[in-house]
Amino acid sequence: MTIELIRPGSKPETSESKPLISRDCGPEGCEVDWLASRRHETDLDVDSFNAFAMQQGWGDGLPLVPPTESRVRAFLAQNDRYPDEVIAHLPPTQVECTVEKVVINAVMAGAPPAALELIIAAIASVADTDFELYGVNTTTAPVYPAFVVNGPVRDELDIPYGYGCFGGVATEAVAIGRAVRLVMRNITGQIPGKTSQTTFGSPGRVAGIVVGEWEERSPWAPLAERRAGISGNAVTSFGTMGTMNIIDTTSHSALDFLEMIGKSVAYPGCNCFSGAVPFGEMMIALNPICAEIVGREMPAMEDVQEALWKFASVDADFLNRLHRDQLEQQGRVREDGRVYMTPEPKDMLVFVAGGLGGLHATGLHTFGTSLSQTRAIASPIPAGEAQAAE
Amino acid sequence: MSRGMVLDPTATRDDDNPSPGPEAGVLAGKRVGFRVDRMWRAWDWISELWADKFREAGAQVSFWRSAGRSGEEGVRCEREYKEFLDSIDVAVIGLANCGSCTGWTIRDAITAANTGLPTTAIATRNFEDFAHEIAARGGRSGLRVHVLPYPLNEKRKEDVLPVGEEHFRQVLQTMGASLAVPEPAE
Repeated sequence: MTIELIRPGSKPETSESKPLISRDCGPEGCEVDWLASRRHETDLDVDSFNAFAMQQGWGDGLPLVPPTESRVRAFLAQNDRYPDEVIAHLPPTQVECTVEKVVINAVMAGAPPAALELIIAAIASVADTDFELYGVNTTTAPVYPAFVVNGPVRDELDIPYGYGCFGGVATEAVAIGRAVRLVMRNITGQIPGKTSQTTFGSPGRVAGIVVGEWEERSPWAPLAERRAGISGNAVTSFGTMGTMNIIDTTSHSALDFLEMIGKSVAYPGCNCFSGAVPFGEMMIALNPICAEIVGREMPAMEDVQEALWKFASVDADFLNRLHRDQLEQQGRVREDGRVYMTPEPKDMLVFVAGGLGGLHATGLHTFGTSLSQTRAIASPIPAGEAQAAE
Repeated sequence: MSRGMVLDPTATRDDDNPSPGPEAGVLAGKRVGFRVDRMWRAWDWISELWADKFREAGAQVSFWRSAGRSGEEGVRCEREYKEFLDSIDVAVIGLANCGSCTGWTIRDAITAANTGLPTTAIATRNFEDFAHEIAARGGRSGLRVHVLPYPLNEKRKEDVLPVGEEHFRQVLQTMGASLAVPEPAE
């Protein structure tokens, strides 16, 4: 056997989102926007509704906003999508995920209407077969999708990319991430112990991670541009087992920092060294201070990835014998006697985020063979311009 | 306290095929295909044991090993799996012994069953309910699922093989299969 390289599968659709035509139907929504979902009559005060929602199995344990028809219509009216549009078929049911269902869940999560296109792009990205949502949703692992946002939409939606960006900072990004998680529960049916076998789960399974890249402090092109050639608003999804902190109060050169990070993320029990996983990616967030130092010495991102890749490997003899033998049989022990986390340097994904206190990097280990996906976030063309173009 | 209507946030599929699909019948002269994976050596051992018994009964046996299901390799896997299904008469699909591998085992079993092949998925006890749940959500609530004890892969080969022996008659029942030698045609 040989090292399996990571190449995208054949895709019927491109990463470009389809053009949206702006429509203004006022706060009541367009008349043609009939809503197909079943109606439930219930008390609408917070306590009663949440007791009802928990009984129905709709929630995540935190309070939900009642998705009344008026709230759903108001949400839709501020956007440019028809409710019956199918965004994706989500496994394991392959059931249709429509705009209407996305909006109902977004309302329950408390997400802002302005975030609909980001939420839709995020859902479309994880629905790509290369993301392997089938495994992500059913596995014993604690995996959940993390979303890295690029473009001006970061500021428009207050997506954090500075202090506390992976969690803890109070912005609507939490509700946006929660909206995606509720879609996973209520549409894909991801329920622990029933359709998800996750052994431990993760706090990230409640609101996920929605983080921006601090593009203005990055010495390199934005992640979405490097990965998919998308300039402007885009989202990159990455199935992660969680966040891992790497502290470094000692290094002062690019290679020193990258050595510390690379060696730290390469631990025997991580996804990339599993004999059950033929290939995997790794994602690393560099803080702006570290990124500036690394970028000064390594202006080419490929050089950063190459260095990280070399350090993110282990001597095969460091692994337990059974594990080493398994990887050896799979051809993953290379001529230098080492096992590398990812097939190639390009599979070490790097972006810049975090507070200006520096000192820490964050590693996000992937799950199985789930491959990160980048999608453009649609923005509407004003109806007048669309007509003029025609 | 005000009452009102809320919209249902869930989506479920309405269609279901509750049939277990056709029985495997007499195995002599048939091509039995095992779907294995790269995770469970215990399933390798048991499927090889059962394969020998199927061969003794006059069946031809082949194996297909599932690997990465994303990227180029995923596309290759899908193509190979389809070719594999085209080359067999009876499908035995395993092993549902973790979350994602139960998901993929049942998905592959549903794919096989939907082509009309007599199909049996193999699960371990801990993942039995999950296997049925995923089968139902995939539109095949009646999918045949044979259940092996759990934990299994943690055992040594000398402890796993007796499990395979013990379950052979039972898996034949689940498959609706027979080792009987057909009467020679007059």
